[in-house]
Amino acid sequence: MSRRPLTPFRNGVAVFAGVSALLLVGCGQKATQPIVVASVSDVSSLDPHLLDVNHPTGSVIWSLFDSLVRRGPDGADLPRLASSWERVDDLTWRFHLRADVKFQDGSPFTADDVKFSFDRMNISPFNSEQQLWQQTTLKQVTIIDPHTVELKTDKPATTMLYWLEEAFVAPKAYYSTHDEAWLNTHPMGSGPYKLVEWVPGDHLTLSANPTYFGGEPPLHDVEFKVVPDLNARLNGLATGDIDLALNLTPDTVTQANTAHSRGSTVLGLRKLHFGIAQHSTQAALRDPRVRRALNYAVDVPTMIRTLLHGATVPLPSVVNPPNNNPALKPYGYHPDLARQLLAQAGYSQGFDLDVDFTPMWGQDKDIAETVAGYLNAVGIRTHLHADEWSDFKNHLANQSFNGIFYAGWAALINPAVELVIFTCNQEDNASGYCDAKYDDLVHAANTNFDPVSRKAQIEGAEAMVWNDAYWIFLWRDPEYAGISNRISYTLRGDDYVEIYTATPRQP
Amino acid sequence: MNAAAISRLSRALLVLLAVSFLTFIIGHESGDPVMLLARGDATAVQKQDLRHSLGLDRPVMAQYGTYLRNALHGDLGESYRQHLPVTRLIALRLPASLGLATTAFVLAMSLALLSGLLCVIYRHSMLDKAVAGLAVLSQVVPGFWLGLILVLIFAVHLGLLPVSGAGDFEHLILPAITLALPTFGRMSRMIRAGILDALNSDYIRTARAKGLPERDVLLHHALKNALLPLITQAGLELGDMVGNAFIIEIVFAWPGIGRMTVESIQQRDFLVAQGCVLIIGTGFVLINLAVDLVYAAIDPRVRARR
Amino acid sequence: MKNLWIRLLHTDSARRGLIMLLIMICVALAAPLIAPAPPDHVDPAARLLPPLSRSEPDTGHPRGALHVLGTDSVGRDTLSRLIFGSRLSLMVGFAAVVLGAFIGTLVGVLSGFFGGAVEAAAGWLIDVQLSFPFLLLAMFLLGAAGGGELALVCVLALATWVNYARIVRSQVLSIRNQGYVEAARAIGAGVPRLIFVHILPNTLTPLFVVASFSMAQAILTEASLSFIGLGLDPSMPSWGTMLNDGRDYLLRAWWISTMPGLAIGFTVMGVLMLGEGMREVLDPRSSG
Repeated sequence: MSRRPLTPFRNGVAVFAGVSALLLVGCGQKATQPIVVASVSDVSSLDPHLLDVNHPTGSVIWSLFDSLVRRGPDGADLPRLASSWERVDDLTWRFHLRADVKFQDGSPFTADDVKFSFDRMNISPFNSEQQLWQQTTLKQVTIIDPHTVELKTDKPATTMLYWLEEAFVAPKAYYSTHDEAWLNTHPMGSGPYKLVEWVPGDHLTLSANPTYFGGEPPLHDVEFKVVPDLNARLNGLATGDIDLALNLTPDTVTQANTAHSRGSTVLGLRKLHFGIAQHSTQAALRDPRVRRALNYAVDVPTMIRTLLHGATVPLPSVVNPPNNNPALKPYGYHPDLARQLLAQAGYSQGFDLDVDFTPMWGQDKDIAETVAGYLNAVGIRTHLHADEWSDFKNHLANQSFNGIFYAGWAALINPAVELVIFTCNQEDNASGYCDAKYDDLVHAANTNFDPVSRKAQIEGAEAMVWNDAYWIFLWRDPEYAGISNRISYTLRGDDYVEIYTATPRQP
Repeated sequence: MNAAAISRLSRALLVLLAVSFLTFIIGHESGDPVMLLARGDATAVQKQDLRHSLGLDRPVMAQYGTYLRNALHGDLGESYRQHLPVTRLIALRLPASLGLATTAFVLAMSLALLSGLLCVIYRHSMLDKAVAGLAVLSQVVPGFWLGLILVLIFAVHLGLLPVSGAGDFEHLILPAITLALPTFGRMSRMIRAGILDALNSDYIRTARAKGLPERDVLLHHALKNALLPLITQAGLELGDMVGNAFIIEIVFAWPGIGRMTVESIQQRDFLVAQGCVLIIGTGFVLINLAVDLVYAAIDPRVRARR
Repeated sequence: MKNLWIRLLHTDSARRGLIMLLIMICVALAAPLIAPAPPDHVDPAARLLPPLSRSEPDTGHPRGALHVLGTDSVGRDTLSRLIFGSRLSLMVGFAAVVLGAFIGTLVGVLSGFFGGAVEAAAGWLIDVQLSFPFLLLAMFLLGAAGGGELALVCVLALATWVNYARIVRSQVLSIRNQGYVEAARAIGAGVPRLIFVHILPNTLTPLFVVASFSMAQAILTEASLSFIGLGLDPSMPSWGTMLNDGRDYLLRAWWISTMPGLAIGFTVMGVLMLGEGMREVLDPRSSG
């Protein structure tokens, strides 16, 4: 009667070990897989009018839906659902819609759907995400015929095309007969891709729409995967599990050069800077001499050379090239000049300064700590704060930072839109600036259709911002990604991944 | 038996209620989700509209009452960020956590049993010392640090295993081992100590004197008596694992419920966070309950007292 | 008590543990003297240097500064940060232990002494805490409070008070039932006197054992919470935040994460050995 209670255990362990060994050996054989795009975060919603960030939500929405106008990578306004347009007068835009577009359920696209979608963008909860009506002073959407719409604005809207680029068109029939919970997860658009499945927090799969008016996209199956860990994205590239690994860092992008993949760096459009809070308890920040001193104290070229491996250039202006004012020059590194200016402003003993950042994207902490180090060196006593993303976003919205804060903004090319951030009642104006002369210039530029006088107004506004050092101006945000040899794809400078422009490549 | 079980059950329910209330209040006071959801330049009216549509402008107790009522019907509210029911999100992420915890637990227990036994048979040998060393190591450094080191060695340098994520079996290995290590360390030494203790007892001496073979003495008598009190400890270890799994999930980007809890806290998506805390708490409470009941059923001394 | 200390020093594990802990405490106290560089001295040109390398020569260092344990992603010296980090980690650990011990002892004494409703309430509270994965609640609390040292110390204290409460309560019960407390009561000694003069001194020794294990728990928990960004401010040099710093650099700069882990291991091992030794002295049954 000698029982052996341990033998089943031992056997179990042996089987366990054997199976793991087999699987370890067997790994690495990949059958035909979808193209996998790995991002730091997940899509937040598939409702086209709840688009909150450029990527990944924006990238997926851009694949599932169409807008009237497409934003080209260089800022150009390209036809999409609208084949052409004209300005009937200063307050009226007329768009001619394509007649050959079908939604993915087969129903035809007409002006009805445009009016429905735009009107939807103006009601709660969508109007807290969409800015079309607010920014263009849109008053009314009129249907002229099934393939022509007219948009009437209150004031001349020079930026109408820009704001239409993310005014996605949803079919009226489908979107008025389903509830919000359904629509968030069962999108119906006319775009180049269809949704196959979405497992929130993990992945989202798309497949090509064969009846897309622009032609079926070259990549048939695409998966947007959530891989928040940098090492995981790099590893996935090396093993072939990931085809497009986004948000790499300057230190790791060379690791993307493997037998299966290559690293890619693109000079991005996002303007990285430190905002300087004007409602702070630290009065020094309201003195333009102090703000200029902050700029002179930071060695931007060295930071670019060491932290970013030389992959970018200092900001030439608050407006992206090619529209920037050529007379403006970067401040450069002049710590003695910084100390002089501080003394002139009455701060020869320095002052206390809060430095806020949010550690969401890896390098933010390094940048903030380095800048704080430079400021410490000219006598300013910095106090660093790592803010949770939601708190950071709150401070941005409420203009409630108390010092300087590391942020990136406006990854786009459209000077009138880029300058709007500093106008008095603009809620993206996280620093809290208010200057009536500046506002006048910018509002004039926004409603002025004459290119010559408009350019003068824009450059004038740029010079005001630059000379008064509204920001600590840093650099244009380089985009680092790893691309596998299975595809050819050119990164955009504004984070959006237009996966429908990617093509397969023989490895 | 029944009276005791009922009293334990009711206590457990009260605990869950207290915890759900606490997390609700904390979540409610910790920030305004509308600030996170609304576009930066949404007007105050638009924000108020949004707040009203989410039911956030009612008094706290009223909100909690509604929450509780709905929870009893299986509705834990909706995520502010993803506009999906919390129960659905939990259902999507829970299996991954359960899989990880189960694998780690089975791994830890089976290897602890094995090594505990071997360390008794080969007392004071290199093996014994090595296991002791490993046990100490797993207690003095943060578990996730050991995980990072394992990743460094096996995934980054040797390239044998994936760095993170879920997928096939090879993705499970490192996170499961990392999660299992502290439990393995503790249980292995406890089993060893328990067997040794039992071996020194009078009862075993009698068995030996009767002439039973050593193997029988060891496996049949000593082991059985040593393992009984360790059942409680095993239950506690499982509970511990459930509680600590989230940090392993973060390090290895495992799509489990623990990671979702942390993310939802960071994103102020507090209905999701509450739901997760409730589910994990319920699991924990159930494990404790089960351990209590199993122990009461098995322990001959407890049984005899009835 | 003196007898106790002598016995402790004769116990191997306690002695070794004490030495390890004292080393760390000395390091923490002497940090400004022994650290080769200020812990927040940023130098982007010297970033990610491996251990035993030198940075570029400059005015302060004609041959370049030696970085024994390398530098991190903004060029700060790892060894200096490790040394200063000991201050934060040990301080938080001590503070959490003291606060936890205070709360736990208070609850334990009150529930053991007064019994009845007080004891029932305390027992239920302990039940709630133990029935719940505390780390989860801690995360929630810290996330809501926004992190910071004070919140962290409170949360860590909350994690450990239960250990003290139970021990103290059972000690109080056993002492209470002994004759001399009844006698003192009969003479008319007041409650505070009873507690402070008769009961508390006898609970101190097991308290120290619990305290050492709690300190280990506090240091490890702080590391975990700071690692996921809910604990101390990431720019403060604590071992936990240093662990987090190195996550993105595992391949290129393994030393950033490895060193603080070793420091934590050393300290926690010292504390645990001290605790083991104390337990051996108090309860001489061998533990295998």
